[in-house]
Amino acid sequence: MTVILEAFHLTRTYPLGATTVEALRGVSLSVEAGEFVALMGPSGSGKSTLLQVLGGLDRPTSGEVTLEGKDLGSLSDDEATRLRRDRTGFVFQSFNLIPLLDVVENVALPFTIAGGDPTRGELADRIRDVIELVDLTGKEHHKPDQLSAGEQQRVAVARALVTRPALLFADEPTGNLDYTTGTEILDALKRSCVERGQTIVLVTHDAKAAAYADRVMVVGDGQIRETIELGRRDTHEATPLIARLAQLGL
Amino acid sequence: MSLTRLAWRSLRARTLRSLLSGLGVALGVAVLFAGLATNAGIDSSVNSTVRDLVGRADLRVAAFGEHGLTPETVRAIKETPGVEVIAPALQRRIYLGPDIDAGQALPPPVTVLGIDPVAEPQLHDLHLIAGSLLREPTEPSALISEQLANEDGLTVGAPITMQGTGDRVTYRVIGILAGEGPLNGAFGRIVVVPLQTAQAVFGDDAVTRVDIGVTAGTDVGTVSDALVARLVTQPYVLSTPQDIAATLRNSTADFQATTALIAAIALFAGAFLIFNTLSMTVVEQVRDVGLLRAAGATRRQVTRFMLSQALVLGVFGSLLGVGLGVLLAAGMVAYVRTIGSVTLQRPAIPPDAAVPAVLVGIGGTRAAALEPARRAGRIQPVEALKARLDLPSARRARLRWLVGVFVIVTIVGLIAAPRGAGVVQALVVYAVLLVGTLCIPLILPAVARLAGIPFRVILRFEERLARSAMVRDPSRSTLTLGALTIGLAMIVALGGVGQHARAAAGAWIADVVPGELILSSIRPVAPDEGVEADLRAAVPSIARISPIATFDVALEGARTDAAAVVGADLAADGRLRFTAGDRASALAAIDAGGATIVPAGLADRLGLAVGQTLTVPTDSGTPLDLRVVGIVERSIPGSGGEAMLVGWKDATSLGVAGADAFAIRFASGAPASARDELRAVATTYALDYVTLDRIKGAIDDAFGRIFGLFDALAAVAVLIAALGIVNTLTMNVIERVREIGILRAAGMTRRQVWRSVVVEAGILGLAGALLGVILGLIVGGLMVVLAGGRIDVATGIPWQIVGLSIMLGIAVAMLAAAYPARLASRLPIVRAVRFE
Ligand SMILES: Nc1ncnc2c1ncn2[C@@H]1O[C@H](COP(=O)(O)OP(=O)(O)OP(=O)(O)O)[C@@H](O)[C@H]1O
Ligand SMILES: [Mg+2]
Repeated sequence: MTVILEAFHLTRTYPLGATTVEALRGVSLSVEAGEFVALMGPSGSGKSTLLQVLGGLDRPTSGEVTLEGKDLGSLSDDEATRLRRDRTGFVFQSFNLIPLLDVVENVALPFTIAGGDPTRGELADRIRDVIELVDLTGKEHHKPDQLSAGEQQRVAVARALVTRPALLFADEPTGNLDYTTGTEILDALKRSCVERGQTIVLVTHDAKAAAYADRVMVVGDGQIRETIELGRRDTHEATPLIARLAQLGL
Repeated sequence: MSLTRLAWRSLRARTLRSLLSGLGVALGVAVLFAGLATNAGIDSSVNSTVRDLVGRADLRVAAFGEHGLTPETVRAIKETPGVEVIAPALQRRIYLGPDIDAGQALPPPVTVLGIDPVAEPQLHDLHLIAGSLLREPTEPSALISEQLANEDGLTVGAPITMQGTGDRVTYRVIGILAGEGPLNGAFGRIVVVPLQTAQAVFGDDAVTRVDIGVTAGTDVGTVSDALVARLVTQPYVLSTPQDIAATLRNSTADFQATTALIAAIALFAGAFLIFNTLSMTVVEQVRDVGLLRAAGATRRQVTRFMLSQALVLGVFGSLLGVGLGVLLAAGMVAYVRTIGSVTLQRPAIPPDAAVPAVLVGIGGTRAAALEPARRAGRIQPVEALKARLDLPSARRARLRWLVGVFVIVTIVGLIAAPRGAGVVQALVVYAVLLVGTLCIPLILPAVARLAGIPFRVILRFEERLARSAMVRDPSRSTLTLGALTIGLAMIVALGGVGQHARAAAGAWIADVVPGELILSSIRPVAPDEGVEADLRAAVPSIARISPIATFDVALEGARTDAAAVVGADLAADGRLRFTAGDRASALAAIDAGGATIVPAGLADRLGLAVGQTLTVPTDSGTPLDLRVVGIVERSIPGSGGEAMLVGWKDATSLGVAGADAFAIRFASGAPASARDELRAVATTYALDYVTLDRIKGAIDDAFGRIFGLFDALAAVAVLIAALGIVNTLTMNVIERVREIGILRAAGMTRRQVWRSVVVEAGILGLAGALLGVILGLIVGGLMVVLAGGRIDVATGIPWQIVGLSIMLGIAVAMLAAAYPARLASRLPIVRAVRFE
């Protein structure tokens, strides 16, 4: 298996008045191609910060991130942006969509930004394909405010996947959704992982969501406290994970 | 901490934007203040001019024409019951010399004022700054104006030489009078001598005017009636100081009305800015305000908190504005110098103009803040917890507010504006601007699409984003676009009016002068002097010399301009455009006598038609009948308006002593040197050689001055609009922080984000420019029509100004985008996508 994402000794501090907040204090990890990894932990533990640093949205105070063998720290802002556009996808907790654009246009955004014409050819096929993957066929021309919260989040997933990124980062994509709707999103993510070998890094504080992953890293106080190997399974039964976490006193 | 302190801190947290808004208020107040101060300065100049002109006189009898008031008339005035003092004076223009050199340009003439050294000081104060006053009725002494002393390097004791009808005489300067001296319209070059000596020099026993002081306790009206009953032998004008003041004020009314209009527009643009800024502050501070409310602040406290912010901005802006206004007013006065027939002596800045300006500035800011402040008060504590807020109600409120502000500014304008004919014009212009601005939300998407076309070609995606950002909040875009549109519309409109005025004046000259150049004289050149024959002898290639004289006649009790012309010359030169009457027979008729050709303006005013007869009083006492034989589009300009044309035969019976000017036409194929020869010969006859181009140049210059000033004021409105664009774009960026974050996360580069904001500005600028040009052309056309002009669509469009305005609009908007675009492109993605 090839390692697609690696991090070494990441720290990230935020200045806060006269003092500083240490959001990350020395995180090292690696993610293999096709893996579905979950980052779990209590609020304020540094999960979002870690995800943003890994995805190149933010820069670490110290340490190194390598994505597909490229050191993110050595890239200019434009290069990092291009890498982000072509090789990664992001899904956030909410407000992932541009309200003025319809479903297809939102999904096509990365192509449009790159200056392509997403209305024809291969790009159009890809867009149709991901919309089908997230089960939104028939709603292509709805505007975000005409969609349910779950549907909006699925559009966000589709957009994150449309470029066939090496890595998909999702920060609490189900945080704003009820259980069933949340399950739809997680199912879509899992499908892309199983059917297409998509690598996924998911941030969640919910064990039921983390149970979809192959591996769960428990973040606490800016560090990785524990790594739980669940392995690739057909179910996403959460009980074994919850039992392990209880065992570890988390 | 008190709410005011909190308000202050909240403004400080947004220093740049607070400064921009403060500056917007300041510019609005500055233009208002400068307008008020200039108008007050004009008023005080009018008053001091009136004081100088009539002094303590209760009545003035002025002569018509060159003959002046005869000694009999003066005696009749003196003997009228109730007349206590009379101060007769004679006024003539001459060249000072020892000698006028052939071939050299003539020096500017001076105006000689002959006064009665005893009677004059009883009615007029002569402000000496050096030397002493005249004492003896025949002494060979002169007082000169300070300006003449400075321009010609004359001091007390210096000799001055004057060439009258007889021998050259030399007087000694014994005193210098302050400033431009006691006469209006003499360009400040004045020589005051005893009346009797002046009469001797000019070989004339008449006077130009008689100022009258009535016996204490006598009713001026009664004396005036008695004078009318007695003065029957020759035409005259009887006026009171109030009449003279009214005439002078009239000549400045248009200027004052336009200044007031532009000031109102600048203030209006400033109010747009304040309103937008405070709306933004509300949006940004929703959470703060929600928390304040959650912590127990009442609605009123929150409203007060917002109003305090406005107050700080208003006070800061207004005070700064008055400072800027002082500079602006001084600049305006120095730049324009003369308005109508009033000379602005000094940048008269009365301190009391500051009070209304500051009040309007603070009040306007507060009024603009009311609606956003009330909106802030309505924020619920729970909204502090919401991540996004929808402001559809705010949008409707904003447009209601727009109408409200227009109405308020109109009312304030009506109260503050100078009375007079200009007000109607200003109101109509204002109404058109209001309707135009109110239409913007309806046509916004279409205009944005149109204005987006040039950007779409190269930056498709950015253009799409930019346009959707604009359309998302139509009322905010309307306010922003509205301010820019009316600013640019004013520039285009004034440009159109200016071009029309210039073209009309230029056409005027070319239309009525039967020749290619003019030799003008400061004194009437009588036919028996033989000047024409001498000129012909000296320059044989002259084809035609056509004498022209302008004078006044009393027509239906009003002073009316008249000109003596040679009809045959006009016919031969193809001049004058007739709107009624037959050209050939009309021009022949005026040469024959008993006929007149009147300008269309006069015909309209008096309801004249071809075939009617006008009766005009003459010096000899027998009135002269003149049949209207033609009506022309434009006629020769007189001192107050276009002149009615008569032949020389009638002019002579109306008391015209000679020609004021000669229109010259050279024979075709005349050598180039002929013109130089003529110039040299003309100088020896004290004739000023003036080409038609020079006249047009002088007219252009005068118009350029006034309209340049108006344009500068309108440009301030555009500047304020630019500040509004900065605000709106910033607000669009702030409201779209999350959207921009997502775009950046999805791979949009900084440069692309930057471009999308700049393109948004470009679309705003171009849309504002397009709307501004259309609205401006309409307004300009209206202003011309309301002023009694006619528009010619083919030549009336000021293309240069239109082009400039479009470029100005786009450039100003793009520049305004610098800060918000930077802000947007530098936005840290993590902050944008952070869920709070
Ligand atoms: N911009 C910032 N400035 C200061 N401190 C910050 C900033 N962003 C994050 N932090 C701090 O860093 C720490 C980690 O924050 P982070 O958002 O990564 O936590 P999280 O695990 O994602 O929490 P949650 O589950 O609530 O989303 C927190 O203590 C937070 O207060
Ligand atoms: Mg988080």
